[in-house]
This record gives sequence, structure tokens and C-alpha cells, in this order.
Amino acid sequence: MSSIALLGIILLILMVLVGGWQGFNSFISLLLNFGFLFLSIVLISFHLSPLFVTLVVGTILLSLTIFLSGVNDETGKLAFYSSLLVLCILVILIIPIEYWSQVQGFGLEDSDDLEGMSLMIGINFVKISIATAVLSTLGAIAEATMAIASGLGEIKEQHPDISSKRLLFDGFFIGKQIIGTTLNTLFFGLFGGMLALFIWFFGLNYSFGNILNDKVFNAEFIIILFSLIGVIISIPITSVVIAHNWKNKHI
Amino acid sequence: MKKIIDKIPLKLIFLFLLLGIFLMLFVKNDAFLYRQPIVRIDSAQLLHKNKITDSFQNEDTSYNQKLVGTVLNGKYKNKKVTINNSYSDSQAMDKKYKKGQQAFVIIHKNPNLNVTIKDYKRDVPIVFVLFLAISLMVIFLKMSGITAIGSIVVNTLLFILALLLNNHGNGAGVVIIFSILAIVFSTVTLTMILGFSRQMWITLCSTLACTFASVLIGLAVFSVTHEKGIFYESMQYVTQSPRPLFLAGTLIGSLGAVMDESTDIISSLFTLKNEHPQISKKQIFKSGQNIGKSIMGPLVNVLFFIFMGETLPMAILFLKNGNSWGYSFSMNMSLGMVQSLISAIGIVLAVPVSSLLTSIFIKEGGNK
Repeated sequence: MSSIALLGIILLILMVLVGGWQGFNSFISLLLNFGFLFLSIVLISFHLSPLFVTLVVGTILLSLTIFLSGVNDETGKLAFYSSLLVLCILVILIIPIEYWSQVQGFGLEDSDDLEGMSLMIGINFVKISIATAVLSTLGAIAEATMAIASGLGEIKEQHPDISSKRLLFDGFFIGKQIIGTTLNTLFFGLFGGMLALFIWFFGLNYSFGNILNDKVFNAEFIIILFSLIGVIISIPITSVVIAHNWKNKHI
Repeated sequence: MKKIIDKIPLKLIFLFLLLGIFLMLFVKNDAFLYRQPIVRIDSAQLLHKNKITDSFQNEDTSYNQKLVGTVLNGKYKNKKVTINNSYSDSQAMDKKYKKGQQAFVIIHKNPNLNVTIKDYKRDVPIVFVLFLAISLMVIFLKMSGITAIGSIVVNTLLFILALLLNNHGNGAGVVIIFSILAIVFSTVTLTMILGFSRQMWITLCSTLACTFASVLIGLAVFSVTHEKGIFYESMQYVTQSPRPLFLAGTLIGSLGAVMDESTDIISSLFTLKNEHPQISKKQIFKSGQNIGKSIMGPLVNVLFFIFMGETLPMAILFLKNGNSWGYSFSMNMSLGMVQSLISAIGIVLAVPVSSLLTSIFIKEGGNK
């Protein structure tokens, strides 16, 4: 058996033991996420527009992650609407910045891996870099909007006559609590995922200026920053969406 | 409505806007800080273009352009230079230059000033995104945002220190160095968020126990399956033995997420205990499980997308170079998949472990 299969089985068993049905659903959501991510790679390599593929797959992935995590329908629906809004704003931010920063494709550090490969594949790598950035931020967006939506859902249940203004305030309060640890998840993910590259920089004595302009590092770094921006704007957007919905219901 | 408008920190936004404009202007004109020569493109002219079909029937177009530019720094400052640049529609490793853009170049003295382009100068957009993220964080979250940024700055410095140590020992003790770093990272971060409290110690124990346990489970799986399906040779940017490097990366990568999960569960349980001091240990454990199982799924996905997303360009290139789906997956995505799975195991373990630790060690009466 391959290591990936055995690790997957162990994860499935643990998730079911810890979370029961909900754990099983989380595992299925991870499997489907992988399936759709791979599908989008195949579709882009068939010359479908990377942006179109990303928007469609991104919407599907957000709904899968949110609705399979076991929140109740009402909370899930509000979290999903909020996450779509956040995704739209992020896409509007990502497209010009990917064109501006030109971190597409591969850098000088990739030369060894590219030996013998044809780079002239007729697909614009800037568009692929936009797709990569959008897809990479989905997890963070889904997590942040859900954390706030389910926190506010709990409050609505406990205090059925809370004012919408108060709800808005509470949303920001929950956001302040999650931001510190989410930031760690993102940055430690960057440190761990790119450890080899950082060691390369130190081994070859890159200067600060070299790193600040390095294509490979920055491609990854701005993705982490996009995810972070996604998490930050999730806080006001989710709070406003939920407070607005609450207000309409109670008048 | 008017009240909400009053609450928008206009002064703060204005301050950041002003600061941002100055910062951008400075970075745009910072060529004097670089030792490598930088050229500003003054005009670009397309010379000719060529349709190309490679051996895998991929069609592309290559272009040649003549660039005229001015050197902005160093010995040849203000000299006009002419550069030949070629690029393709794909722009995988090349790019089309436009008027006004800046680039790092190599200047050969002989026979007469001969200049080739090395790379695009991209510090302005990078600083812009970084500044945008920091501003949003401070404007929306005030003190919490500033604390969070502070903890990242401290952690980055610690990370650099660990890299220096690793470099000093030529990578011999990479797993040990980064294991120690993991302990320091989490101690520092949790102290900054929670202070020296009982809650902090419980969270720290849970974080470290689950992170190391997940890596040990990973190692056990590797030895049972003889690492079948793991292709260390596909690891990128490797300058030292890849296997320990991969382990160290996985350890650091999952640490943040496990800490995230543990912090969320334990702080909710402490709040619960404060509100209902009579709650039993068994109930605390059960509530912890309930809170944890709904956040573990989304958190697993956060790391999954970060680890797997970065493999997209190379995987597409592999597919377009006539490789099968299976081979493209193995060579590009298998390591990211293993990393995602090991960190997912850590995240799931954190649910029972942090619930159990809290139920045992929380003080009767519920005070922090």
C-alpha cells in the first residue's frame, strides 16, 4: 500500500472516531476538494480559461467545505453568501496584482527541475498564477467566514432578542479572537511549505533585496498575504451580512 | 446609520493612505539601495514574432523586442542602454517589458556596453500587498491586529535564527533544530496571546503533543509502507538531504494549524467554565469534542489548499509535456498531499487531546 493511502485511512478512522458522521463528512469534503483541484488542473491544461475554471471550481469548493462541515442550514447559508462576497473582492484584488507583480511560472531556482521540458505550452502563466492564488485562498476564506457565522449563530440562539447592531459588534469581537491564531496557521504553513527554498536562500547568501524581488518566493508570499487579506475582510463582511439578515427578519 | 459612519476611523485610514503613498514613492525610487544595476525601460519596440510548435503539439508565439532604457544606479548611472529581450505568449520564465517598468540587468563591459536582462524589479507590488494587509489589520482590528503582527515579526526573526543555525551545521541537525524551533515558536506565540496562565500551559501541551504525535504517526506509516509513493527526488530547491528537510517542513507547517485548533477549543472551554462554574469534567470534555469537530474540517482544508495550490503551475506544465495524470500527480503533488495528511492528523488529534487536558487541569471554580 502506498504511504498516501495508509495516511488517508488513518485520517478517516480518526475523523470518524472524533467527529462521527460530521467527521466522515469532513473527510469526504477533503477528498472532493482534491478531486476538484485536480479537475481544474486538467481543465486548464485543456485550454479552458483559467479564470473561468477557477471561479466555477472555487464556488463549488467553498460550498462543499462549508456545507459538509456540519453547521446548521441557516448558518451555513449565511457563511456561504459571505464567503462568495469575500471571494469576489479578492478576485478583483488578485487579478491586477498578479499582472503587476509578474510572479507567474517559474524562477531561476527552478532551472534544474525544468531541464528537458518545453515551456512554450501556449497557456499564459499569468492567468495560471491568478488561478493558483484564488484556489489557495479558498480554505482560509471558508474557515474565517464559518468561524464568525457559527459564533454569531450561537449568540442568536442564546439571546433571541439581541439587536442587529450588537450582533455586528460581536462579529468584530469574534474576529479579533480568531485573527491571531489564523495568522499563525498561514505563516507557519508558508515557513513549513517553503522550508527548502528558505534554506537555499541562506545557503547561497541571498541579500534582502534579492529575496524581496525573488519570483518563486514572492509567488508564494503574496498568496499568503491574499489569504490573510481574505480572512481580515471576512470579519466585517460576514458580520454585516448576518446583522443585515437578522434585522430584516425582526422588523 | 450615522453612528456607524462615525465609528469608521477616518483619521486612521487617512494616515495609512498618506503613509502608503510615501512608502510606494520611496520603493519605486529605491534603485540606489541595490548593488545590482537596474534599468528603467524608456521605450519598447517589437522586432519580430514567430509561431512555434513544440514536440508535444503545443502552439505558442515567441517575440523579440528592442528595449531602450536608462541605468538608474551604480557606475553607469544615467547611461542609455539598448537591450534585446525575447518572450513568449506563455511567459513562463520570460516576460514582455513595457515602458516605465524597471528590471535588474547584467552589464558586460566588453566589447562595448552590452546589457542583458536578469529579472523584473517587483519590490513595489510586493511592498504594496504587504502594506495593504498590515493596514487592513490595524484599521479593522486595532490592538488585536497589532499584537498579531508583533507575534509574526518575532516568529520570523526566530525562523531566521533557526535557518542560520541550520546553515552553520550544514543541515546535519535540521530535524532537531526545527523541533526546538517548534517548541520556542509555540511558547512565544501562546504567551503573547494568552500571557503566562494556566490556559496557556494547557494549550501549549496540547499543541506540542499533537504536532509531534502526528509527525511520529507519519514516520510509522513511512516505515510500514517503505515510503511507497513518496518521491523525495521530486522535492524542489533541495540543497541538503531531502528526507529530514521534508520532515522538518511538515513539523513547522502543521504546528500553526494545530495551535489554532487547540487555542479555539481551550479558550471556548475556559469561557464555558467561567459562565457555568458547576460544569463537570465529563461535560467539559464533551463540549470540547463538540466545538472541535465542527472546526477541524475547515482548518484541515486551509492547509490543504496552501500546500496543494502551489503545485498548480508545475503540474500543468507536466501535463502539457505529455506526461500521464498519475506521473504528474506523483512528481508534483504527492509530497504536498503527505504534508496535508500529516497536518490533518495533527489537527484531528487536537480535538480529544485539548478537551481531555482542559477537563483534567482546569481549576475548580473556573478562574483563569
